Amino acid sequence: MANVRAGAAIFSARTVTALLRLMGRGATTLPGRVAIKICPDIISVLARDQQIITITGTNGKTTTTHMVTGILETLGYAVVTNVSGANLATGIATALIGGIRVRRRAEKAGKKTVCVIEADEAAFSKVCGPLAPRICVVTNLFRDQLDRYGELVHTQNFIAKGLDACDARILLNADDSLVAALARGREERVSYFGMDDDSMVRNTVTNAPEQGIGKTTTDASYCHFCQTKYEYRARSFGHLGDFYCPSCGYSRPQPSFLVSYEKNREDQMSPSDAGFPITLTYEGESVTAGLPIPGIHNFYNTASAVAAVYSLGIVCKDPELSLGKVVQAVELVRPAFGRMEKIRIGGKSLCLLLVKNPVGLERALSFVSEASDADGMYLLLNSNDADGKDVSWIWDVDFESRTYPEKVFVSGERYGDMYLRLAYSGIDKKRMKALPMEECGNLVDEALAACAEGKCLYILPNYTAMLALREILVKRYNLKDFWK
Amino acid sequence: MQPKLKLCHLYPDLLNLYGDRGNIIALMRRASLRGIELTVDAITLGEKFDPLKYDMVFLGGGQDAEQNILRKDFVTEKGSAVKEAVAANKVFLCICGGYQMMGLYYEEHDGVKIDCLGALNVWTVGEKNRFIQDTVYSCDFLPGDKLLYGFENHSGRTYLGEGVKPLAKVLFGAGNNGRDGYEGAVYKNVYCTYSHGSFLPKNPAMTDYLLKKAVEVQTGAPFVLPELDTDIEDFARKALPACKKP
Repeated sequence: MANVRAGAAIFSARTVTALLRLMGRGATTLPGRVAIKICPDIISVLARDQQIITITGTNGKTTTTHMVTGILETLGYAVVTNVSGANLATGIATALIGGIRVRRRAEKAGKKTVCVIEADEAAFSKVCGPLAPRICVVTNLFRDQLDRYGELVHTQNFIAKGLDACDARILLNADDSLVAALARGREERVSYFGMDDDSMVRNTVTNAPEQGIGKTTTDASYCHFCQTKYEYRARSFGHLGDFYCPSCGYSRPQPSFLVSYEKNREDQMSPSDAGFPITLTYEGESVTAGLPIPGIHNFYNTASAVAAVYSLGIVCKDPELSLGKVVQAVELVRPAFGRMEKIRIGGKSLCLLLVKNPVGLERALSFVSEASDADGMYLLLNSNDADGKDVSWIWDVDFESRTYPEKVFVSGERYGDMYLRLAYSGIDKKRMKALPMEECGNLVDEALAACAEGKCLYILPNYTAMLALREILVKRYNLKDFWK
Repeated sequence: MQPKLKLCHLYPDLLNLYGDRGNIIALMRRASLRGIELTVDAITLGEKFDPLKYDMVFLGGGQDAEQNILRKDFVTEKGSAVKEAVAANKVFLCICGGYQMMGLYYEEHDGVKIDCLGALNVWTVGEKNRFIQDTVYSCDFLPGDKLLYGFENHSGRTYLGEGVKPLAKVLFGAGNNGRDGYEGAVYKNVYCTYSHGSFLPKNPAMTDYLLKKAVEVQTGAPFVLPELDTDIEDFARKALPACKKP
């Protein structure tokens, strides 16, 4: 009976996919929604006997998923993965149904298939059991749309529930006290990734945190277990760092996958440059590579992606997935759309950095302020359901302690809020131009015209602003399918 | 010679939700542009709060987990000092969770009553659905168009008792409880509101009002703030979606 239902679900989902494609629309969640209606356990049926890696956490899911996919493809695997943002049960089911054909083709070509699944934190609690993954990665827990998700500890509970519904190896961010706390009671399944203290200190020296106007907010200042204030031996950014609780002794676990600045070479480049040399160490073995996607937060994404693939190699006993090969492969990964991807337009370029929450925006601002080719910064802020209706988080972001390109552009439905935030951070109104969302395309033209040859305009939109903007970019600059 | 002001930011490491620090950025900006020096001290768990040292006190909102960590410290350790500062007419700005904690109690939707400081004769009852929206209020004591713009995000319904006046009338949004048409509370120089995040940046008249009050309490004499334009703030106010509603 289950097979009949599953068959009907798959058939219907494929029909829906074909129809959507005929209509020229993407089919990222609706086919899965239909399939789940017909066969509620379709995910567990399709996940059976699959090698599955899940990636969850508030920031870096898409980039990490993209990196894991890239590594595996380079090393000769076929990969089934969900489309960025389609990370609820419906999107995951859609991906698995599409994966049936991928797997069949791979088998003919003599390739193995791995499913790399990005899961929303709340969805993770429900899909992890049916997926029965081999590896679960938890990237980090930062405040993110609290009007929608409630509190950070709720998000943490969702993830805990998912982890307990499966028997996967668990890869946790050691430097995030909220994520590392998920190891309690699950110790024998857990490994950690993290950054070494020296690299954290170097990073903090170049990006000194703001002094003066009440320090910026960090989450999780107090011990998860005994509510004493954490101390830090070193910090990387946000609440990530080498923390310890002076009262109960809870502290940053020693990461077995360690990422660090490659010693002696960091003077020539900054972590804002792609290819910045980093070292990945696992149990005494060190491999050096170029950072595939720039930005200090991508140290973590790179470490977790390498850890995920390497751990899969151990679980599946595949010697092809050695540390050396995995690290070499991660170096070849290129940015996903909207995640630091550069698009050439004539002699100039555009770089899109999706910003969804305070720590994401801080990382992006820090990146732009360090980028040597930056000539213009353009922020877009919307407040649709998918963005979070509440935009007050922009006031939690430290705009004050960085310097930005001379010209600053602002749009989005909440362009007034963003303009005010920027002005209050000390950017002179003469340097700014702010227009409503309806004119965001004209403002791209204007910003590009003001950008010098050979330089780059950095665009920082939140989620629905980015969706709207990319359609406009495709039309205006004739960029066919450039995000595929 | 312009006056100097001292502000105490209570529990900034715990009550830091929804961009509340924007209010301090606003106070500092509109003070410093006028040559008024405003210094900010952070006082948190286990640290002594000196009620007479400060002209202004800011108390924001936090996540439940964080508010539970500090409630005991606030009510039992710092409680009498905070009440003393209120009695001394110090200027308070309390937002959302901070507003609720200044009141008598918070009754959760399942009936559990949590004792709060009781510096203000107000109380809060939690309900399941949250008010999450842009808001516009009208505030009588402000000059100009009297309009206050905000954003509310709360499930608690707050009611005012004798001796406490509302801060403003609701033109758009829910306000204190979604029933009586009022928003916020004023008692002595304690100003409370559910508008979090960029409340003061969007409302420079309110920022100026609090600064002026703080100087007057300190010096005991009337004070006229030096002129300062509101071009930037007006631009932002005009661009707000809620602006089109009332």
